[in-house]
Amino acid sequence: MLLDIYDPKAPPKAIGIDLGTTNSIVAYVRDGHPVALINCDGQELLPSVVHYADHGQVQVGRTAQSYVSRDPERTIVSVKRFMGKGANDVAGERLGAYRFARPANEDDARVVRFDLGGRTVSPVEVSAEILKSLAGSARDQLRSVGGAVITVPAYFDDAQRQATKDAGKLAGLDVLRLLNEPTAAALAYGLESKNNGLFVVFDLGGGTFDVTVLQLDDGVFQVKSTGGDTALGGDDMDQIIAKRLLASMGYGNGDATQIDVESVPPEVVGLVLGAARDVKHRLTDEERAVIQLPRRDGKGEATCVITRAEFTDAILPLLERAGRACRRALRDAGVQADALDGVILVGGATRVPAVKRYVAELFSQEPLAGIDPDLVVAAGAALHADQLSRSSDEVLLLDVIPLSLGIETMGGAVDRILPRNTTIPAGAKSTFTTYADGQTGFEIHVVQGERELAKDCRSLARFTLRGIPALPAGHARLEIGFGIDENGLLHVSAKELLTGIEQTVEVKPSYGLTDEQVEEMLIDALDHGESDFELRRLVESRVEGERILLATRKALDVDADLLDADQRSRVDSAIRELEQATQSASKPAQIEGAIAALDHATHDWAGARMNRAIKGALGGVAVTAVEKDVQGARGVDVQVAEHAENRTAMSPGSAVVFETGDTLERDDTPAVGAERP
Amino acid sequence: MTSSVFDPFARLGLEPRFALDVETLDARQRELARTLHPDRHVGAQASERRRVLNEAMDVNRAYRELKDPVSRAEALLRLRGFEPEATQSTMEPGFLMEMLERREALSEARAKGDLPRVREFAREVNAEFRSLQDRVATAFDALDSGASPAGAATAGQAPLLALLGRLRYLRRFLEEVAAIEDEIG
Repeated sequence: MLLDIYDPKAPPKAIGIDLGTTNSIVAYVRDGHPVALINCDGQELLPSVVHYADHGQVQVGRTAQSYVSRDPERTIVSVKRFMGKGANDVAGERLGAYRFARPANEDDARVVRFDLGGRTVSPVEVSAEILKSLAGSARDQLRSVGGAVITVPAYFDDAQRQATKDAGKLAGLDVLRLLNEPTAAALAYGLESKNNGLFVVFDLGGGTFDVTVLQLDDGVFQVKSTGGDTALGGDDMDQIIAKRLLASMGYGNGDATQIDVESVPPEVVGLVLGAARDVKHRLTDEERAVIQLPRRDGKGEATCVITRAEFTDAILPLLERAGRACRRALRDAGVQADALDGVILVGGATRVPAVKRYVAELFSQEPLAGIDPDLVVAAGAALHADQLSRSSDEVLLLDVIPLSLGIETMGGAVDRILPRNTTIPAGAKSTFTTYADGQTGFEIHVVQGERELAKDCRSLARFTLRGIPALPAGHARLEIGFGIDENGLLHVSAKELLTGIEQTVEVKPSYGLTDEQVEEMLIDALDHGESDFELRRLVESRVEGERILLATRKALDVDADLLDADQRSRVDSAIRELEQATQSASKPAQIEGAIAALDHATHDWAGARMNRAIKGALGGVAVTAVEKDVQGARGVDVQVAEHAENRTAMSPGSAVVFETGDTLERDDTPAVGAERP
Repeated sequence: MTSSVFDPFARLGLEPRFALDVETLDARQRELARTLHPDRHVGAQASERRRVLNEAMDVNRAYRELKDPVSRAEALLRLRGFEPEATQSTMEPGFLMEMLERREALSEARAKGDLPRVREFAREVNAEFRSLQDRVATAFDALDSGASPAGAATAGQAPLLALLGRLRYLRRFLEEVAAIEDEIG
């Protein structure tokens, strides 16, 4: 390498950092090309491991890694899995030597902390140590470091992104932007080879799996869909091997499925996880790996043999999970596998031959292999940092939201306002109305997820719009606006249109939707698709039944005299039937039947009411009053007709209590325009 | 824009026609984003950034509305002064019966975990969904070429609404098929 000549007037250089679960990398752009910088270990890849020594010294990278089996409780590995998580989100079913601090109170429980014996650290602090080390190496070599772009999985939620940003700040970095990892990888490929076309990025990292379909067109990277499985990565392969190794050492009576991870001493966990990683790497080039490990009973060493074929079989379920997410992403993008111009592999776990083969079969083509999968994300981050710091307009990234956003409606169903894979920035409005007469407040519950019922989605925010004038049910018009800016931050506004009463809430990233939760929600939605749908129909018919009962009773208050005794008794008995059905039916059809019966019983009467209203109009009543009367007379049968239509159309947007409104005049809130779910 | 009807076609600079291919739509979004994306206005004043952000949101909304054939048809009807949601259309009993049978067959395939059958459904209904879109496009063109008085236009609308109703059914059915494919796939 030529000796760089130090120019004191040279502007600071922007850097890109791939803050990975297993390894982290820092890179910058030299003469238009991304170059990985050498870290404190003298390597490009810095193991994302931090060791906290007794005397307060902090070590990062290989040095720290050497403590994994010697001092496991003070050595934090895979900290990325814990970013943005609360103390209650941490499950104990994984092999790991962490000791978590017991939260003192509820506020304390919002962030998980590692107990190092005598002191505790948060994931943000641990990540900051990794970032500090990388930034230090960059400063040594570049002399002056400018802003930084840090990458995150596409599926990271706001809490996780915020935690990553905080770690950057804590490390003294000027964070220009958080960039989605698959987009970063595409950026690296797109700029390296000036490709245009449709690409899929298959990113199997240490802890997360992301898949993104995107279109490259002269510098514009348009993300068409993104999906993933956020608890799937190379770590999971290590876990599978580690359990086999433990079994051959005599744990779980020799059965890998019987191992109680809590009962394995931390030192042993550290040892076998290290050995498992080693086995995985060796199986990339070799057909079998043989390893000696101490037996549990202390009687010498056990010889463990794992063949590549065994390993391939064992990880197949993991690959199938990835495959499912890929098929879904393709479908969401409206793309067939054969229309793809290229498949980009990202993440160290894609070096595993079985993974490569699986991907090639899934997309019917050999994946691109031009850039080292371990370095490609950092390369993309460096390129983007360079562009942002120069305000260059060569490249533009159009990203999407990974999960749908919606509002809870009466009865607990979700009205989706922005579907997943909506391009950001995005705005949408939806109009709702009151359910009860004289209702003066609306509770607004913002949720995120793909399930049909609000209780199964992630709750993001709850607020109440008060001070609405008491109006008859269905007259107030509440407009909810969602706005997502270019940084992915959500703003929610609510406005009552008759009075102009308004509230705006910025959804702060304190809610901590974890990536595991994102994935769980998606998997749940798949598992419960059908039953959710039934349940939702039941909830909706129940609400609809109640609405119709209310409308019928109101009509009886005014126009009961139009019914003869016989008709009246039939209407009354139909009302009783419907009352009973709405209270106790377990199938939507029961309620729907009762609604139809009431419709039948009130059919002639509704006609008579309409006639009366029209006669009233001809009698010289003010036009507005007539309109109101006619609207009232619309009552039961029109509503029943609407109901029937809604049911038969099975339109997911046909929630009956809140009517989705008309297109509305835009106002000056950040969310613009109206949208139908 | 002061009009109360949002015109997604105008926002994207596209002719208000039903026939629209995804590539054209994607290309328009990219093209407009080149000038309207907030990243292109980092140094601008707050009020200017806000205006541009709103415009970028409008573009993305227009894109979303036009991408889905159902909402695209609804947008076209709205531009003609009709309120597609308020206008009820009765579905032909034959079609309803067919859908009912299909839905039964689908849940049977689901119960058996018969993935090939579910995929066959996806192909079959997708093909139908596409040919239905062609018919909707033709119906809109007929409506346009009619240049008829308001009353006739309303009458001309009726077959269109029936087609739109079918389109909604098929879309919902395809959503269900997709969910089942994910579940047993």
